[in-house]
Amino acid sequence: MQDILQPILNGILLGGLYAVIAIGLSTMFGIVKLVNLAHGDLMILSSYLSLVLASSTGLSPYWTILAVVPVMYFVGFFVQGLLLNRVLGKEMEPPLLVTFGLSIILQNLLLLIFTPDARSLMSSLTLKTIPVTGSLNIPVVYLVDFLAGLAVIFCLYYFFQKSYLGRAIRAASDDESAAQLMGINTKNIYAKAMGIAMMTAGIAGVLIGTTFTFYPHTGPQYLIVAFGVIVIGGFGSMKGCFVGGFILAMAQLMGSHFLGPGYQLLSGYVVLLIVLALRPQGIFGTV
Amino acid sequence: MAETVALQVSGLDVHYKDFQALWDVSVQVAHGRVVSIIGANGAGKSTLLNTTSGLFTPTRGTIEFHGNRIDGQPPHETVARGISLVPEGRRVFPRLTVYENLFIGSYTPQSRPGREQALATIYELFPVLKDRRDQMADTLSGGEQQMLAIGRALMSEPKLILCDEISLGLAPVIIAGIYKRLKQINTEGITIVLVEQDITRSLKAADYTYILLEGKVVLEGQPGVLTEEQVKKAYFGI
Amino acid sequence: MGELVYKARWCVWGFLVLALATAPVWGSDYVVLFCMLFCLYLALGQMWNLLIGYSGLLSLGQQAFIGFSGYTVAVVTNYYGVYIWVSVLIGGVLSGLLALFMSLFIFRMRGVYFGIGTWIFAEALMLWFGQWRYVKYAQGLFIKPEHPPSITALYYGALIIGVGAVVLVYRILRSKIGLGLMAMRDDEAVSSTMGVEVFRSKLFCFLIAALVTGLTAGVLYTFQIFIQPYKAFAIDWTVKLVFIVVIGGIGTIEGPIVGAFIYVLLSQWLAEYISVSLLILGAIAIMVILVAPKGIMGTIQERLGFEILSPRRR
Repeated sequence: MQDILQPILNGILLGGLYAVIAIGLSTMFGIVKLVNLAHGDLMILSSYLSLVLASSTGLSPYWTILAVVPVMYFVGFFVQGLLLNRVLGKEMEPPLLVTFGLSIILQNLLLLIFTPDARSLMSSLTLKTIPVTGSLNIPVVYLVDFLAGLAVIFCLYYFFQKSYLGRAIRAASDDESAAQLMGINTKNIYAKAMGIAMMTAGIAGVLIGTTFTFYPHTGPQYLIVAFGVIVIGGFGSMKGCFVGGFILAMAQLMGSHFLGPGYQLLSGYVVLLIVLALRPQGIFGTV
Repeated sequence: MAETVALQVSGLDVHYKDFQALWDVSVQVAHGRVVSIIGANGAGKSTLLNTTSGLFTPTRGTIEFHGNRIDGQPPHETVARGISLVPEGRRVFPRLTVYENLFIGSYTPQSRPGREQALATIYELFPVLKDRRDQMADTLSGGEQQMLAIGRALMSEPKLILCDEISLGLAPVIIAGIYKRLKQINTEGITIVLVEQDITRSLKAADYTYILLEGKVVLEGQPGVLTEEQVKKAYFGI
Repeated sequence: MGELVYKARWCVWGFLVLALATAPVWGSDYVVLFCMLFCLYLALGQMWNLLIGYSGLLSLGQQAFIGFSGYTVAVVTNYYGVYIWVSVLIGGVLSGLLALFMSLFIFRMRGVYFGIGTWIFAEALMLWFGQWRYVKYAQGLFIKPEHPPSITALYYGALIIGVGAVVLVYRILRSKIGLGLMAMRDDEAVSSTMGVEVFRSKLFCFLIAALVTGLTAGVLYTFQIFIQPYKAFAIDWTVKLVFIVVIGGIGTIEGPIVGAFIYVLLSQWLAEYISVSLLILGAIAIMVILVAPKGIMGTIQERLGFEILSPRRR
């Protein structure tokens, strides 16, 4: 029984990472009612960006976050501004298909540039653990993920609650025309919001890269994680992201623990599908 | 003595796809005055205001504000020029608090510095908004939401306010209170355009009135000069 | 001119079908192969279009049915010695049942939830089949019927499915269900208050689409002889479907016909550039959505003001 505590601990810590992965997707859905199918691939793009920076400068990947985050802001700003703002409208399919196309393009571009080899972001923290009891350890990388996750979500929360831009984004998502009447250039706001969402994706990508191996096709896997977190936790809820993150991570690790590592992803999918069937609005869902 | 013209609408045609909502509409609003636009449902009143704000683009005609052309501009630019719309149905932001709704009203760069001052003025004008400042906007009553919508429009320090059917769905005593405040706002030099279905009240409040029927201006004049007979005929199209 | 074309349309279709039906006679092996692939992708495209263009169901998981049916054919033929065409039929039917099962989970969902739900199912199936000893894990299976069908037999099978898919969609849309679907497409809330059975119509289309997709996959894999989980259940299938339907024109019956033709043509050329093929397909699809969202046939229909294969009643 003792050795179930480790997966549980890992699950809690990983839940924080999953929350960060999901927050960008959740935010954009709340604002422009669009699920960005390329979200996972954009995170992996950040992982590769970090890889390039870290290997060319010799710095720890955590330092690369300083560069990756602004780059991802612009990526998000232009994707929304040039591509998605054009197809936002009454119908749901065109923007979804555009993000789908973007996902495919990203994956194949990364494949061309970086080959299908698995990569990973190594740092001095990579294999370190903090012993808690005799058999229980805290992997330092997981702890960093968890703390970073908390930090990102709190910053985002304060941004949306207190700043002009944050409130403007919330206003625009409530009522686009009324927001325009306040002097808000809503198309510009959406682009900025996407930029912010991509900043979180950038951080998530670097964290993912330090925690797991990645390769060009890993994106969709994390899109499903993000989606799962939001489905379980509920749309439009930041605490839902945390709770959803924990539950999903726990489901995966329990599956891996009891059935074998090959069943990790599958266990997550099964739990997701069950929640979709039984309580589609999630635990804290407001929709 | 010639008055400055604040808003000049000339020969406006507005279409929704194949449907023509406004036909050759011309309206003149003098600076510092209250002008009312009356008409039955579907007469085109809201369309006129929305087009002035920039939510729609006219297919023909021009709109000038203090001599500058504003037709076809996106709404956020019109606000920056000093025109504020209190939209039909209030349209307060439901998931923001009263304070946040007002806060957002001063989004334009030119109104941000004066935000606190503007807030103070609005709280004086509508004390109930100060009492409820931390409540979610969708928990307010109809009358309170209307006051919030007007207050929000005032936060951008406009020179001209367009009011779209602000008395709709409200009790007479509440409406009276709101109109009293509007008069106050007008004495401070802000031009007001009132769109209403309620003939009596808007005629009392206005310096000049236009009557729309099926997208066309059918009568205009000073309320004191026009007879009740004339107005009713024009309104109903008899 | 419009009226003339309208009246002549049956002649044009008749001619095309005749040409296809006699292809093994007048065409080279390459032409026959081309037409066969065309028919198969046409069927897949028609089904995806039925879902997204008419039923408002974005399916990102058709590959679930493709792989599932393919494996069914492989297992039933290899392990139980069933006659190949019966296997294909079984593949189709089981795909339909899979769709029924899936609907229990995802049919309450709207829009993108539904789409991602189908995708997750496909991914789950991919993982499952990759770890399943019964189907030799990820090594894949060779499809070895006792009496392997000739290319001509396969061709006619594909032809029946391809033409059949078009006819099927046409008939569905002209039926009561179809009228309901088109009303639903315009305004779902309003049409549901008029008694249009939104749920049943959508489910019906989803099941039919799965069935036909399964049949198509059965023939495809019988032709390709080898099936492997990471290709059979891959999202690549959806990318091709998106391309075919978007280029051709979402929500038109003629669209997938044009789209499938262009796709098969393009894929022959792209075969030399495997690594960029998906990239190019994706990029083209995005550009079309941005620039001409109605696709080729959709834009033509808008300009000329009529539909060639119109499901509308006159």
